[in-house]
Amino acid sequence: MKSRLVVTPIQCTGCRTCELACAFAHSVDGKPGKSRIYPLPGGMKDLYTPVVCLQCDDPACMKSCLVDALSLNEETGAIDLNEEKCVQCQACVAACPFGCSLHDQKNANVVKCDLCGGDPVCAFFCPTKALEFKPVTPTKRKRAV
Amino acid sequence: MVTLTVNGRVVQAQEGEMLLEVIRREGIDIPALCHHEAVEPFGACRLCMVEITKEAWDGWTNHVTSCLYPVEQDLIVSTHTPKVNELRKSVLDLQLARCPNSPEIRKLAAEYGVNETSFESKPDADNCILCGLCTRICDKMGFNAISTVGRGHGKEIAPPMHEAPPDCVGCLSCALNCPTNVIEYSDVNGKRTIWGKQFELIKCSECGKTTITREFAQALSDRKGIPIEYFEKCDHCHRKELSLTMGQVAGWSKEVQS
Repeated sequence: MKSRLVVTPIQCTGCRTCELACAFAHSVDGKPGKSRIYPLPGGMKDLYTPVVCLQCDDPACMKSCLVDALSLNEETGAIDLNEEKCVQCQACVAACPFGCSLHDQKNANVVKCDLCGGDPVCAFFCPTKALEFKPVTPTKRKRAV
Repeated sequence: MVTLTVNGRVVQAQEGEMLLEVIRREGIDIPALCHHEAVEPFGACRLCMVEITKEAWDGWTNHVTSCLYPVEQDLIVSTHTPKVNELRKSVLDLQLARCPNSPEIRKLAAEYGVNETSFESKPDADNCILCGLCTRICDKMGFNAISTVGRGHGKEIAPPMHEAPPDCVGCLSCALNCPTNVIEYSDVNGKRTIWGKQFELIKCSECGKTTITREFAQALSDRKGIPIEYFEKCDHCHRKELSLTMGQVAGWSKEVQS
């Protein structure tokens, strides 16, 4: 059973701890890097939803990469970006329908969530369990009535 | 698995790996301008030269480009012997004669003690070292828009017939990966110009931020089957959309729960 980063928007308080944890976990040369996770207003007052890469089953970013820099990590279930292979064409940034492949302008590279190699720090530090990394069983999609 | 020695350290490597990968993994810094993981090694810049020997070779040594030399059992590799440094120095001396104004080459040459070239500088010098990384990346991405043109001292990187290349989609991969940043491009007023061809950058339908070129999006859509409407918005507006969708879901469940 594969673990997934489960987002429960109703429990998010918008404290942005996940963003801070992510930036420090992905620091570049001792400086905090670009966060891969963003709590954004969810359309209602005081309601925030953490926006993070969903590691799609049929990822548009992976399909759009013409140099095979993005690949599925079988161990963690994340779509990993090989920075050495990336040619910075930003096809994945443009192709992701959820906007979760990001371009880091400061370091001139593309970044995306890698689930921290199997133990996401955002889920570890989330005080309200809005983010959880847990095994999930695939549920059958309910048909909208 | 293959066991070899790099600068006196015994290291393990996979069969078929190139020496440069092993050396870089060991944290040893050797210059390599034409190398990129996305494309096959080429051996154009000749800066990743190392000295190799084996116990069985009776003291004989060989100098090889590490990016092109596969690992061998019991190989002894030295990356910074006086002879290797001398080799790199003469290569940089030649490159400095070709590109006297390139800050990247000047900096690297200065590290090896070459401040001025001992050869005659090229009169109409540009900063291209003809490593062909741009053309290799372009080929790898499947566009084949640019190539090396001419031979000998007339060799250069150019689009076919020196005209605006019909196959170029303006992805900028050539310019952004050039080791000497010689490929000129401009992004002005939603228009990108590179190789003498002008492209229209896609404007986000909500915020107006420009993303990739329309031609590149069309090529990705045609070749990889990505719906073209995915490219209509910028990444930030996509994220906003996702947060609103999730908010709707959360808000809806709140109503149900209460």
